[in-house]
Amino acid sequence: MIVTLTVNGELRSASVPPETTLLVMLREHLHLTGAKTGCDVGDCGACTVIVDGLAVNACLMLAAQADGRTVTTIEGLATREGLHPLQKVFEETGALQCGFCGPGVIMTSKALLDHTPEPTPQEIRTALTGNLCRCTGYVKMIEGVQEAAAMMRSPQSPALAGQSPALAAPEQK
Amino acid sequence: MKRRGRGLASMWYPVGFTVAANPSGAVVKVNEDGTAVVLTGTVETGQGALGVLSQIAAEALGIAPNDIHIVSGDTDTCPMDTGAIASRTTYITGNAIAAAAAMARDTLFEVAAGMLGVKASQLEAKDHKIQVKGFPARNVPIADVALRAHIVNGTPPIGSATWNPPTVPLDPETGQGKPFGTYVYATQIAEVDVDDETGEVEVLRVTASHDCGTAINPMLVEGQIEGGVFMGLGFAVQEEILFDKQGKQINCNLTNYIMPTTLDMPAVECDIVDSYDETGPFGAKAVGEPSLVPTAAAICNAIYDAVGVRIMSLPATAEKVLAGIKAKRAAEQKQIPA
Repeated sequence: MIVTLTVNGELRSASVPPETTLLVMLREHLHLTGAKTGCDVGDCGACTVIVDGLAVNACLMLAAQADGRTVTTIEGLATREGLHPLQKVFEETGALQCGFCGPGVIMTSKALLDHTPEPTPQEIRTALTGNLCRCTGYVKMIEGVQEAAAMMRSPQSPALAGQSPALAAPEQK
Repeated sequence: MKRRGRGLASMWYPVGFTVAANPSGAVVKVNEDGTAVVLTGTVETGQGALGVLSQIAAEALGIAPNDIHIVSGDTDTCPMDTGAIASRTTYITGNAIAAAAAMARDTLFEVAAGMLGVKASQLEAKDHKIQVKGFPARNVPIADVALRAHIVNGTPPIGSATWNPPTVPLDPETGQGKPFGTYVYATQIAEVDVDDETGEVEVLRVTASHDCGTAINPMLVEGQIEGGVFMGLGFAVQEEILFDKQGKQINCNLTNYIMPTTLDMPAVECDIVDSYDETGPFGAKAVGEPSLVPTAAAICNAIYDAVGVRIMSLPATAEKVLAGIKAKRAAEQKQIPA
């Protein structure tokens, strides 16, 4: 079957078997390997992408369910001008160690910040509860999301300068 | 009702292998533009080793960590390294890199001595310059010295070194010896709430105080401590490998092997003890594995403080803690005279 998605602002189609998950379609048909295959059963969150503004485990969604919808993956965050504030803060503060959970953690955090620009630490903890990390103890991630949120709220943020409004603004429903 | 308790545990931990050889080799070459290349056999696994090793090389050469290009984990090009194990990278690989960088720097000093008209022993490398000790105004840029070393003096500044911690084998009769190059020390304090009706343990706060020698990169040390507390927390109250009668693991998925999430993770306060170890590179020792050693003991002591129950096998699941609470109540009732 033909599945058509808007991925990172670009219309992409692929002919996939009906049982194909969104994760397999992204990684193997569209060659977007940022979303990681961790447990493949929805426990670890390493495959998190944003579908129509909501963070989802791409391993638990069929590609066909995403047909006609808008998908943002980790590849859609950085621009030619620079990293997304979440990526920048995570890099600078050591919020990731081995980094395997990173794409999922960052996409979950982005979905949170798109809806809740000023989250409390508890809201960040609740949002990230589906993203397992074996290295960091989550401490610097939770602090990093708060720091990125502050950066994104500040209009003069140099990290956001030149970033396309489509990516800086919340996802369109 | 929930009962609050606090527990404390301390540990010491050795760095490197027990007596057995565990060397690291390193090659450092200073380029004509004043940058440097480091070859090391160790690998980056996310702990930040290559960042710390770059800082060590940069400090020894008087340049910035960004000036270091590090080539690692390639047995074709890099000297032998025992590996990113035994919490040994900063201490042992770091010592090898510091020694290799010092050797390359000595070549720069020989060349700069001629340029500045002083003895090589009077020089120091700092802020991208080779300068006379006590007279920093008399200096030449490292890039100029390195270029001259390459194309005028014919002595390219290259250093290589190996380091293996000095040990004394253990005496088979007395057990005495010096099996490790150095040791690290830590104390952690845990604060927990224990529900005395369900046995559920909630870890609220962990304060972790670690002597890791001089922290070369305090941010990465904190990252290691926080990660260690997280693993210690799982060890203490959640994680358990279960086997069937044939010895096959029955919980080999993240669905049933339960590790802590963001909601389980307590607040962590890191305290890096001011310390300097003479045998380490720029005073550094280690922090990797030791960061999780005292956590489970501190949590179990906190459980005892909260409800008076000693947990003798990990993890301290709600079932075990509740069974302990019930046994304690039963024993207390028996003691009441009729």
